Amino acid sequence: MSYMIVVSVTVVIYAILTVSLNIIVGYVGQPNLAQSAFFGIGAYFAAVFSTRYHTSFWLTIPLAFATAGVAGLVLGAISLRLREDFLAITTIGLNFVIVAVFQYVPFFGGAVGIYAIPLPSIAGHQFGNNAFLTVGLMMLAFVMAVSKYLEHTWFGASLMAIRDDQTAASSVGVPVASYKVIAFTLSAAFAGMAGSLYAPFLSAVTPTSFGFIESVIVLAMLIFGGLGTIRGAVLGALILGALPEVFRFISNYRLLMFGAILLLMLRFQPVGLVGEGSVLVKLTRRATEELRRRRHKGTSDPPAAGV
Amino acid sequence: MVVSSLINGIVLGSLYALIALGPSLLYGILRILDIANVAGLTLGAYTGLKVFNATHSLLAALVVAMLASAAFGYLLQRFLYRPILGRGPLIPLIASIGMFIAMEEVFRLVFGPYPLDFPAPVPLPTVHVGGAVVTGVQLLILIVGVAVLVGTWYALRRTRLGLLWRATSQDRETASAMGVNTGLVIATIFLIGYALAAISGVLLGVNYNTVYPTMGDIPAYKMLAIIVLGGLGNPLGTILAAMLIGLVETFVVSYVGFVLPRDAIAFIVLIVILLVRPQGLLPGESSGS
Amino acid sequence: MALLEIDSVTVRFGGLVALREVAFDVDEGQFISIIGPNGAGKTTLFNAIAGVIKPSSGRIRFQGREVQGSNPSHMSHLGVRRTFQVARPFASMTVRENVRLAAAGRQVLQSARALGLRGRVRPLADRVDGLLETTGLTADARRRASELNIGGLRRLEIARALASEPKVLLLDEPAAGIGVDGLRPLAELIRGVHQRGLTVLLVEHYVGFALSLSDRVIVLDEGTMIAHGTPEQIRNDERVIAAYLGKAGGGQGDRPPAVPPGPDAPGER
Repeated sequence: MSYMIVVSVTVVIYAILTVSLNIIVGYVGQPNLAQSAFFGIGAYFAAVFSTRYHTSFWLTIPLAFATAGVAGLVLGAISLRLREDFLAITTIGLNFVIVAVFQYVPFFGGAVGIYAIPLPSIAGHQFGNNAFLTVGLMMLAFVMAVSKYLEHTWFGASLMAIRDDQTAASSVGVPVASYKVIAFTLSAAFAGMAGSLYAPFLSAVTPTSFGFIESVIVLAMLIFGGLGTIRGAVLGALILGALPEVFRFISNYRLLMFGAILLLMLRFQPVGLVGEGSVLVKLTRRATEELRRRRHKGTSDPPAAGV
Repeated sequence: MVVSSLINGIVLGSLYALIALGPSLLYGILRILDIANVAGLTLGAYTGLKVFNATHSLLAALVVAMLASAAFGYLLQRFLYRPILGRGPLIPLIASIGMFIAMEEVFRLVFGPYPLDFPAPVPLPTVHVGGAVVTGVQLLILIVGVAVLVGTWYALRRTRLGLLWRATSQDRETASAMGVNTGLVIATIFLIGYALAAISGVLLGVNYNTVYPTMGDIPAYKMLAIIVLGGLGNPLGTILAAMLIGLVETFVVSYVGFVLPRDAIAFIVLIVILLVRPQGLLPGESSGS
Repeated sequence: MALLEIDSVTVRFGGLVALREVAFDVDEGQFISIIGPNGAGKTTLFNAIAGVIKPSSGRIRFQGREVQGSNPSHMSHLGVRRTFQVARPFASMTVRENVRLAAAGRQVLQSARALGLRGRVRPLADRVDGLLETTGLTADARRRASELNIGGLRRLEIARALASEPKVLLLDEPAAGIGVDGLRPLAELIRGVHQRGLTVLLVEHYVGFALSLSDRVIVLDEGTMIAHGTPEQIRNDERVIAAYLGKAGGGQGDRPPAVPPGPDAPGER
């Protein structure tokens, strides 16, 4: 049972990463292969401040949010100057550079990382796994809510307009540059926030946990579930995050699975499992429409032509 | 000391040039950053090693490695890349990343995670130049490097295929409209690009006397930095950029105490250059994206 | 004070001079066409006014304020909106969502519900409905923008441009590629929009179309303004005729075909 809780916390953290990544890759359509780097920045700052300066866990959350957000802002500013594939490469490089910074800059503890991160406590009680899960779910709910809200705002619609046609978006009044930067900042900040939970949960952070491969895994989860949708992000994290844990034998093939999923999805169903227009979504919609039709008719006669 | 660093730098640069040339050609033809090409490198290295162990012939190893990798490249473009071409530059890029990662795992599962030795004796003498030593392997790299470079220049400038490549890389649609059988050109370039990767793989394996599943990681991301620096789709620029990076890395490591590891240098150079000149160091394709 | 002042605008691309000291004023409520043979610099001038490119020298003033070198988003907020010759719909959104996005400006950001792309705030929705009706897109409102045919895409371009109730409408060759049947309804749509008080600047390759709608016409040739005046004056201007005849493929005839100019001309859909 406790093991399931641990797995759940991992899944929830992945979900925060996918939902936040979706803001920039799904809504705005910009490539970002460095989500794990922002995650790591948040985790590392949380780790350093809670071990070295005895900062309370609750304060490390906004700290991680802010530091990762600043990094996201920088990337956002850089992104304005680059075209798509160069940006993709730059984010790949960013991963490596940030991991190198973790490894070699003394502030971050060097190759061995930061360990003995204290457990958070609330009202005098130290965190158990349940507490981590609860806080994680709250964070996830927060990120999902913000993301959902964005979908209903002009800001969110503008992001998608930027994705569809940046030039046209500009001509209808969308401030493309600043909105892109805001999206990058937000996406990175949420990832950093997840890091602040991850650090005490593992009680140690090492540089290599936040590398390029981890970023690819997050992206693979998002693409698998359904790029551009919150439900896709969560589902992808849920299935691909839990699978290697639930089926232990898979864990040796974990990376192979991710690589294969990435290329198979992009080749055959790039909208993802539950993305807009996916086979599953279409089937579900057709099924629910059929049900609705039948309920209206009150009989199981086939609907009249032209309905 | 300087001569030694210079030679090492040139050898390293030649190696990088071999690694990056294939993807540069591939980008020219398809506008895709094909990271999976480096999986062809590793495939070439493993194949070469196995063939060498069986035949003790480095030449046979090279040939079979090239064939194996070329076949892989052919299948890749036929079944993965060509069908997804219309979807913009990002989708094939990410698909190639997926393929790259998957292949590394396949190598690990098939050949084991531990490094294997590649002790192939190179039938070339050790040369002394200006107080520095050039080993047989390094000599081989230089010779192969020069041969490939000259061959590529000749092929691009003087052969029909080269003309077709240049036409298609400038404007695929027009080339196709003019009756250039782009399918055939693409397949051929992939065969060549992956054969090149196999050569790099064998040379890399022999040079460092080791073959392991993730040996493609560092070459992969350096390759990215190099082809962007050199101007995407500009093979000459790629070669120059490769030499530059090889020399910079060697000299920086020898002479400057450096905080960050040598492997981060390529990317830092890239990011700095991209900030200053977002289109890359040298002009790449003629028109914008 | 004129609404829009083009003051000695020169645009150079490297060694090429695309526009040379072009100068004219646009008064509020006017309908101005910019015509000229291929390579005249019409598109360059259009882009300079729309904020896409920055003039090498000269000034562009809107309502007295200098706007040369600003960006399209800023121009949109000032009240200058443009269409694209090759339509640029937001392909993933429906026709209605396209227009609604273009209608809700930054100023609407205050109210969360007002932003609702799927929300139900009346004033915005009414304005969008009105626009869809004016441009004949009501039937297509729920379709993906990517599914429209070229005529529909053109009308969507206009609907989007009008959505924010701009002061100036810049039309980028709206007649291009429209078959003969579509020209008259398009002309009526544009005329109707103009008659409601909108200032219109039209760049057009199809001379007859432009002349039938305009109050004043500006003629460019190789980057310079060679003539300006009423459609009648331009129709008979020898320099204009020479400019067109001197160029291969010099437009669809320098004499306009018989497109009836009046609003009471029978229309077709």
